[in-house]
Amino acid sequence: MGRWWAVALSEAVQGDKALAVTCEGEQLAVFRDGRGAVFALEDRCPHRRVPLSPGPVKPAGLQCPYHGWTFDGATGLCNDIPNLRRDERVPARYAARVFPASEANGFIHVWRGKGTPAAELPGASYRAAGREHTGSAVANIAFEQYLDVMLDGPECLLSFPSVHITDFFLGDARRDGGHLVLDRGAVWKGKGNGPAFVRDHSLWVRTRVPLTGGDIRVELLSADEDPLVTIFIAASENRRGTTSLVWRGFLHTAPAPLSWRWRMARAIGRAPFAIFPHIDGAAVAALEVAPSRDRRLAKTDASTPAERVVPVQERCAV
Amino acid sequence: MSEVPMMDAAGREAEVTSKRDWVPINLDLRDTWFPVAYSADIGERAVRRIVHAQDVYLWRDGGRLYAAEFRPDRLEAMRAGASTFTNGSGFYPAVERYGYIWAWYGNPDNAHEELIPNIPFLPPDGQGIPRYTQRAVRFDAASPLSVENLIDLTHADFLHANAIGDSQSENDVVEVHSTSETVTRIRNVTRKSVAPVMRWIGGVRAQYQDLRAVLHVHLRNNVCISYPNFTPGYPIPNVQPFVPVGKHRSRVDQTNYTVHAPAPFRWLMPRISYVIQPQDNSVLRPQNARYFESTERRDLSSRFDGPGNRYRLLMVRLAERQQRGDFGYGADADPSADISAVLGMRG
Ligand code: FES
Ligand SMILES: [Fe+2]
Repeated sequence: MGRWWAVALSEAVQGDKALAVTCEGEQLAVFRDGRGAVFALEDRCPHRRVPLSPGPVKPAGLQCPYHGWTFDGATGLCNDIPNLRRDERVPARYAARVFPASEANGFIHVWRGKGTPAAELPGASYRAAGREHTGSAVANIAFEQYLDVMLDGPECLLSFPSVHITDFFLGDARRDGGHLVLDRGAVWKGKGNGPAFVRDHSLWVRTRVPLTGGDIRVELLSADEDPLVTIFIAASENRRGTTSLVWRGFLHTAPAPLSWRWRMARAIGRAPFAIFPHIDGAAVAALEVAPSRDRRLAKTDASTPAERVVPVQERCAV
Repeated sequence: MSEVPMMDAAGREAEVTSKRDWVPINLDLRDTWFPVAYSADIGERAVRRIVHAQDVYLWRDGGRLYAAEFRPDRLEAMRAGASTFTNGSGFYPAVERYGYIWAWYGNPDNAHEELIPNIPFLPPDGQGIPRYTQRAVRFDAASPLSVENLIDLTHADFLHANAIGDSQSENDVVEVHSTSETVTRIRNVTRKSVAPVMRWIGGVRAQYQDLRAVLHVHLRNNVCISYPNFTPGYPIPNVQPFVPVGKHRSRVDQTNYTVHAPAPFRWLMPRISYVIQPQDNSVLRPQNARYFESTERRDLSSRFDGPGNRYRLLMVRLAERQQRGDFGYGADADPSADISAVLGMRG
């Protein structure tokens, strides 16, 4: 079975320009038609293989920058070869590869793999309730490692201002459907005796990491489990051992009492979190494997044989 | 209404081509002369050029030109390692003509000067070729992909629209001819809008002009000889030899022979390479990696790809012939034959 991947922020795909994204290692061109509907084509023209994404979006679809062949977003069919005479038509089988695309809560999703696209989109679980901070990056870490590090040491991948994320896990990762959820202690920086000696952690960081797919949710919670910050990070495999990231997150509007620093930050519109595009290799290498072991084990259990051995070639086919 | 007439001659060629692999990085055609440098660029200090990943060091000493596998200071020490490309001597056959140094790539026993392509608009001894006509550019792709790009006409309307203008014209007819060693593409355009560059600096005030553009491609060495002739206007003959530095890069010492065009067009026009090259490279660069292996997903073509598909077919045929050990030139091939009639040169 295939799956939906969140590959882009809604606002990143606008006007007559396509966006080049990489998902599961494959390059895609994402664009909208005049009415705002989103489409995804393989970023490869079937004429002479050049990327389609630098081309302009025309009323008939995405136009290849090399010779102007134009491809319908919904079907992938080539509907225009410029310079043809009026009485000539493009052969019916001429088409670019098309991927179903759908949008929810500020994320553009692409369906990759076999089967009918599922009704539920990963981004549907995210709903902003406060001023949003968004971004995208290609991180210098491999995709599966990114997910593992999100469990073993999220402080290598992201930060909350003035917050020290500890690696003291509160319990073990628990299974929630296709995800593992793990809470860990965190403290405000510069308070008390240091993170190792607090009687109780003043904050919790909750990470929700998928076994398969790329939808990650990270929350900063108060000691009373009230959410302060929620972040949805969509990760997917980019090329050469890197990982595509797109994220949206927000500071909850009426959370527990905030430090003066956070109140200031909110007042000037500073983001209440940072996602790292450049990851510290030494820090990641030094991480000991802990809860990610559960993810690897659960992954092996969960994946049906069919899912595990689908060759890349087939995964791409739609 | 009809579909694209895929089954005309060009269409049949596309079908034939599509059954074969088109893996341009694997094309390594031998027994040919490569214009590896402008004569004017080579003095006493050795310069390193590379053909199909084979080093060619060029220098002059006592008025003599040398083309060797090794740097002059290491030549003696390394000569024992000289390859079959120099019969173990370390020195390639090299000849100066048309303002270029031509080095032989292949079996030195087969190096004959008559195999140097004829370029009828350039002085054979290279005397008086102004330096402003000579410009070196580089492409980040296998040479045959660049040649395809040059043969291909329809991309100019998109990739080069700002420099070359749109394709609005009354009539636009393309013919392709070939031998076992060459492809010739002839384009006749009547009443096309004058290219912006010609209007701005080329002194052509008319709104429309006719164009007869001939491109003559030598398959083995990717030497592309072009004779676009504008009426009203003038010809802008040029040579673009895509020397394969390796599988993934090519170097082109162009000669845009604008000496007969009015000033300042004459001096400025060769600089158009600085606009055109990045545009072409923007597609060639990503194309290159996508042709590394033969794939079931063959390229789709339209009838405008007739000349390009003919090129692919002939290249593959020539490569197959060389694989069988046949490096000879066929009876229909005579690189040094005068091509001024082929190019449609006046006078
Ligand atoms: S490569 Fe896309 S139109 Fe030619
Ligand atoms: Fe071009």
